[in-house]
Amino acid sequence: MLEVGGILSWIHEALSSSCPEWLTLLIEYVLIGVGFLALYALIALILILLERKVCAYYQCRLGPMRAGFWGLLQPFADMIKILMKEIIPLLKNDKFLFFTALFLVIIGSLCTFGALQFSKDLVGIDFNVGVFYVLAISSLGVLGILLAGWSSNNKYTMIGAMRAGAQLVSYELSSGLSLLTIVILGGTMQLSGLIEAQSETWFLFQTPFTWIAMVIYLIAGHAETNRGPFDLPEAESELTAGYHIEYSGITFGLFYVGEYVNMFTIAGIGTMVFLGGWQPFHINAEWAAGFNGVMDMIPTWLWFFAKAFGLVMLSLWVRWSFPRLRIDQLLHLEWKILMPISLLNMLLMALWVTVLVPLFA
Amino acid sequence: MEKTLKMIQSVSSSCTKIDAADVMVSVDKKDLHKVCEALYKDGWDYLINLTAVDNVENIEIVYHISKSSDMEKFMVLKTNTTDVENPIIETVSDIWKSANLYEREAYDFFGVRFLNHPDMRRLFLRPDWVGYPLRKNYDNTPNEGIPSKVHDMDACEDVPSITLDRHGEIVENHTKLFGRNEYVVNFGPQHPSTHGVLHLRVSLEGETIKKIDPNFGYIHRGIEKMMESMTYPQMLFLTERLDYLCGSMNRHALCMCVEKAMGLEIPKRAEYIRTIFDELNRIASHLIGWACMCNDMGSITAFIYGMRDREKIMDIFQETAGGRLMTNYYVIGGVAQDIHPNFVNRVKEFIPYLRKMIKEYHTLFTGNPIARGRMINCGLLKKEDAIALGMSGPNGRASGWHCDVRKIAPYAAYSEVDFKEILHDGGDTIDRYMIRLEEIEESLKIIEQLIDKIPEGDFRAKVPAIVKVPAGEYYQRVENARGDFGVYLKSTGDKSPYRIKFRSPSMVAVSGLDPICRDTKIADLIMIGGSLDYVIPCIDR
Amino acid sequence: MKKYIKDLFSGIYALLQGMYITNLNFWRPKVTEQYPEDRQTARQFERFRGELVFDMNDQNEHKCIACGLCARNCPNQSLEVITKSITTEDGKTKKVLDKFLYDLGSCTFCSVCTQSCAQKAIKWTNNFEHAVFNRSALVKQLNPEGSKAIERKPAVAAPKAAPAAGQNENQQ
Repeated sequence: MLEVGGILSWIHEALSSSCPEWLTLLIEYVLIGVGFLALYALIALILILLERKVCAYYQCRLGPMRAGFWGLLQPFADMIKILMKEIIPLLKNDKFLFFTALFLVIIGSLCTFGALQFSKDLVGIDFNVGVFYVLAISSLGVLGILLAGWSSNNKYTMIGAMRAGAQLVSYELSSGLSLLTIVILGGTMQLSGLIEAQSETWFLFQTPFTWIAMVIYLIAGHAETNRGPFDLPEAESELTAGYHIEYSGITFGLFYVGEYVNMFTIAGIGTMVFLGGWQPFHINAEWAAGFNGVMDMIPTWLWFFAKAFGLVMLSLWVRWSFPRLRIDQLLHLEWKILMPISLLNMLLMALWVTVLVPLFA
Repeated sequence: MEKTLKMIQSVSSSCTKIDAADVMVSVDKKDLHKVCEALYKDGWDYLINLTAVDNVENIEIVYHISKSSDMEKFMVLKTNTTDVENPIIETVSDIWKSANLYEREAYDFFGVRFLNHPDMRRLFLRPDWVGYPLRKNYDNTPNEGIPSKVHDMDACEDVPSITLDRHGEIVENHTKLFGRNEYVVNFGPQHPSTHGVLHLRVSLEGETIKKIDPNFGYIHRGIEKMMESMTYPQMLFLTERLDYLCGSMNRHALCMCVEKAMGLEIPKRAEYIRTIFDELNRIASHLIGWACMCNDMGSITAFIYGMRDREKIMDIFQETAGGRLMTNYYVIGGVAQDIHPNFVNRVKEFIPYLRKMIKEYHTLFTGNPIARGRMINCGLLKKEDAIALGMSGPNGRASGWHCDVRKIAPYAAYSEVDFKEILHDGGDTIDRYMIRLEEIEESLKIIEQLIDKIPEGDFRAKVPAIVKVPAGEYYQRVENARGDFGVYLKSTGDKSPYRIKFRSPSMVAVSGLDPICRDTKIADLIMIGGSLDYVIPCIDR
Repeated sequence: MKKYIKDLFSGIYALLQGMYITNLNFWRPKVTEQYPEDRQTARQFERFRGELVFDMNDQNEHKCIACGLCARNCPNQSLEVITKSITTEDGKTKKVLDKFLYDLGSCTFCSVCTQSCAQKAIKWTNNFEHAVFNRSALVKQLNPEGSKAIERKPAVAAPKAAPAAGQNENQQ
């Protein structure tokens, strides 16, 4: 089979047979860290190419075509270019906060990324309060964006940061509430536990409320990544580039990468919570045993990435179809539409779990 | 007209009628304000254009005034001051709001100061510029009188004005444009959605806009001055550089102005071709207008679709005229070349294609609840305000003002086609948005009616080798994609004009930004800017 | 409340319709032109004004009589006609073209020169690839070295190009 678990345990055995335990652990931690960073960078590059290509196709264009076959090497070219660019120092700004902001954003994004469970065996962090961890650590980015806007000493970045603050804090609510709806259904906050609970049927097909929760989660998650119709903080036609105007070279590049990986992280969490993570698609019936068997043949990491990229594609589709909201529309959408619905949804889900399910069981 | 003349004469004894054909009235500068007030009360509420002319011995201000209810007639009111050193004329900006910017322009280029005008800053040039460039005696040696940089940025904020005090003495007042505690953000000159190099200084309160001060002149090329030293065939190409999105129509205006002045008869074929070209150009311009507005609202996909379909028109232009934006197609007396054999077929293929695409635009963008939510009831422009600001064209028609020059004073082949003037009465952003898409469909109808009927014959009249316009003053209006575009031409019978001035519909659109956008959000400013669809090179002539 | 729900669903429907349009375009043929690759096949329109050239015949002869009308009519002074005097066989001095300089950098492609040329000596070509590294390389000499004007028979000393229908002739 094409699972990665075998390779991992082989490395572990090879190491522990030749090294003392502490060294084994050290090497493994370093390896995992490097592996995660590499995956992080790789996904960012893939997403950048995907975005440019998909956006071009929606717009009847071809997108990048000149770097490599079909423009496949474009993100690498971009990366090299951006690494070579000068980081332009600003004269009158708070240098410490200016760079702290950047690292807050990237750390927030990386830590959330670490919570993803890519396959049956490829799991970075798996707390018993995993959902809570994800919600908490992903909010670090808001702080970074606010600081970035403030410390740049620029009126546009300031407006962008204020918009970002208002937007991210609001949408955190609905995305949190819809995740909690699932926590009620799954009965655990541990992400692996949630995925385990979906081995028969994905949560999406378990209750009708999951659908509502998922739609709300995707909208709110989309808003949290500052993309699509919700790109107010960087609204290029209004604020030129919003909070990251003053960042240049790789400092801007990190914001850019962070934003793209956040998009993937949101899709990944959505996958784990609603679409069964790495669990294959099963039909819960006698006659479908053969079908389930075929589905099981597909490696679990492929399942995860296919689902996550499917959600990413959906978000790209939305992003390139709609005009941008205005700030009051944005808040109206959150506080008057998404929030009440998700609260109601959570209530109904609680009723489902506590009253209806025991009633029919 | 006779009645109006009598009315003016009853107000002012100094009034004299100059020209028999048009109503051209000269008024002493003492009586100017009184006369204008009386005219305004009589229904002459639309100031089309205000031109300053340097006649060396005096400086003349020419007002083209019309009635918004009956735009077919217009009158020319003139006044002058012999004090060339320090010319002062009373303002009419309290009567017609549109005079505000026109008078600033006259001050900028001719040094005419307007009494009681609230804001006598220069409009295009920097505050420390020496001299008045469109004066005949201006020394235009390069680098003369241009300081290297503005040392005192406060000078840009200083608003001078002149008023009369109790004793009838002229006093100069200075106020500040913005208060000390205002949060002023510069939008432009390098900003993705100012449609060119427009510089807006916006006073904000959070996201809410409190005041907008437009700042022009970043790409001012002095086209009007350049034209004074060019022959008529030479200067045609500059008209397409005014409003590059409807270059053909601007060129049409100047060509017609010269042709009418010379009394040239234009072949029917040329007129038909010109009409078709104008309408194609209008479609192209409206497509860009629509696309840019969508882009301003964050829908980049819609922008690309608009550009994609406009490309087809550009191809049609290129095939027949050899140019895309700058078609260089109209010449005095007709068109430069006959239409390409493929022209008719290409246009016929294009019409159904665009109809289909417009349906898609409506599904993609017009129906979108986000877009509708942003556009409806936002950026209201009432009909009275539109007239007072002189905001003609699609923007005026969105407010319900019947102001289509094609209907009012048909030129070329417009009298022979059946089309509807689209009128909306809401005056908000969605009306301005819809009117462009609907006008595209009307333009398609016009083209459809004409394309099969292009008469055989010459495409260019015989024109004398050296084009000379008889002495006199001429004014020609056309409806370009942004509104009432006008050419004022004063000739002394020479082979180059004495003074030429273009009425820019974009300038009035920008002057409307401040009243429309007060108390809206930043995002609305950008969107309303897109809906007004101004093109900056037309302002910065 | 009823309106709230109705608005919600009609909004979602309209959004989905917008997504349908973008999806439609996703599968349509793309309009991008891949310029350097399609140089040979790119659509060209014969009237496109790319660059001013002399209308040469195969004997390396041009039609310019060095009247200078084009240079005088050019709004940007981008044409310069340099003449020289030669003595013809029958002993007359004659003004002929020495150099015809064309500054592509200041040309606005307004066509006034080609329209004013009575001899139809200059014309436009479709070449649009003008990029050079030095601005002085944009000043081109249009008459190739060694070329000469077409010899005209003395009988038609002042040839008049037969004016085409409706064509304006700026002849003086």
